[in-house]
Amino acid sequence: MLDPTGPFSLVSESAPRLAAVQGWVGLAARLLVGGVWIVAGVLKLPDPAESVRAVRAYQLLPEAVVPTVGYLLPIVEVVIGACLVVGLLVRGTAAASALLFAAFVIGIAAAWARGLQIECGCFGGGGHREGASAEYPFEIARDVALLLVSAFLVWRPRSRLALDNVLFGTTERIHT
Amino acid sequence: MSNPGGRQSAAAKAAAMRAAQENAERRRRWLMIGGVVAALAVVVGVAFALQVQRDTTDPDAAVPAGATEEYGVPLGESSAPTTVAVYEDFLCPVCGVFEEAVSDELRAAVDDGRIVLEYRVVAFLDRASEDEYSTRAANAAAVVLDAAGEDAYAAFHDLLFAHQPAEGGPGLSDDELVDFAVQAGATEADVRAGIEGRAFEGWVRNATDAMSRAGVTGTPTVFLDGEVVEGETLQDVVNQTLAAAQED
Repeated sequence: MLDPTGPFSLVSESAPRLAAVQGWVGLAARLLVGGVWIVAGVLKLPDPAESVRAVRAYQLLPEAVVPTVGYLLPIVEVVIGACLVVGLLVRGTAAASALLFAAFVIGIAAAWARGLQIECGCFGGGGHREGASAEYPFEIARDVALLLVSAFLVWRPRSRLALDNVLFGTTERIHT
Repeated sequence: MSNPGGRQSAAAKAAAMRAAQENAERRRRWLMIGGVVAALAVVVGVAFALQVQRDTTDPDAAVPAGATEEYGVPLGESSAPTTVAVYEDFLCPVCGVFEEAVSDELRAAVDDGRIVLEYRVVAFLDRASEDEYSTRAANAAAVVLDAAGEDAYAAFHDLLFAHQPAEGGPGLSDDELVDFAVQAGATEADVRAGIEGRAFEGWVRNATDAMSRAGVTGTPTVFLDGEVVEGETLQDVVNQTLAAAQED
């Protein structure tokens, strides 16, 4: 599927204009999702202990892996975000992004179903808050939307101004 | 018509060359992807090691005299039949409301020997403060405990809730904390350095971590004889807590 002349290529003889538009749409999608990841990760990096507590509050993972996940999550978020923004390994990072959003949707939905009142900790913070469950529908809708944008990038990873174009030499083709 | 075999072999040669080129291209692509993935893995690994180091919990932190293993401060006779343990953050507004509702009666129950009241003060609301009041206040309480004992701690605890700052703004200053510590019965010379230098900040961090490990995700959370008090509303929790304190 990485083959630029394959069935999912932007380079279709019949629709060069569509290809050009998709190149820009892909860029916008990358900047949107990547930007959200970077903000989410950077806000959590300053306090690793808090990040661990936020993961623990979901009561989903065994204690043995909670600290590791708590430390790793903000880092992985920043790395995925940075890769998307600069357009590095877009298909792979978009797939990881979609998987993470799916995991968060499951986490929030599980908290909701079990009646936990916790802040999602999506952008730092986390833990119990009175009335936190009122935010769950919005949080889930937001994550599903970002999951769909990520999925689009898995489907059509090629876009304008991506490092992939330089590394994998597809620039000239995307310009056709 | 002439020399068809030669033409065929030329075509085959061209095809073979093309295939070899494509192979080389594919190999180059995968090497590139592998290299980038390896570089990203190194970045993640190094950052992970840094985060582990930066975790602010500290197993070697100084412990204030009079504190329990559960990072609590018990008030009252240990022979009392009921133990009421309360997780609180000095900046948590709901804790302020809770304290106003139960403080007097719980203290009376302590004085009558009906309960042991254990305050487990944590600090997880620095995010909602301009000057890390959550941590500074919890540290100050530990300093007062260490320097002047449980009674001064209890009085200091009540003073802080009576003068609780709103979330989102500045908290009480270190000077104000020292003044309240003196009002509560401590000597300024004994507490000022510890309050300003956050002598028990590490212990406060550990307390907050211990709360999380105990499955407590918010404050106020009350445990009666080790059982968490479940309540739909704060009033539920207040009622159950008061009922336990009034039992004979």
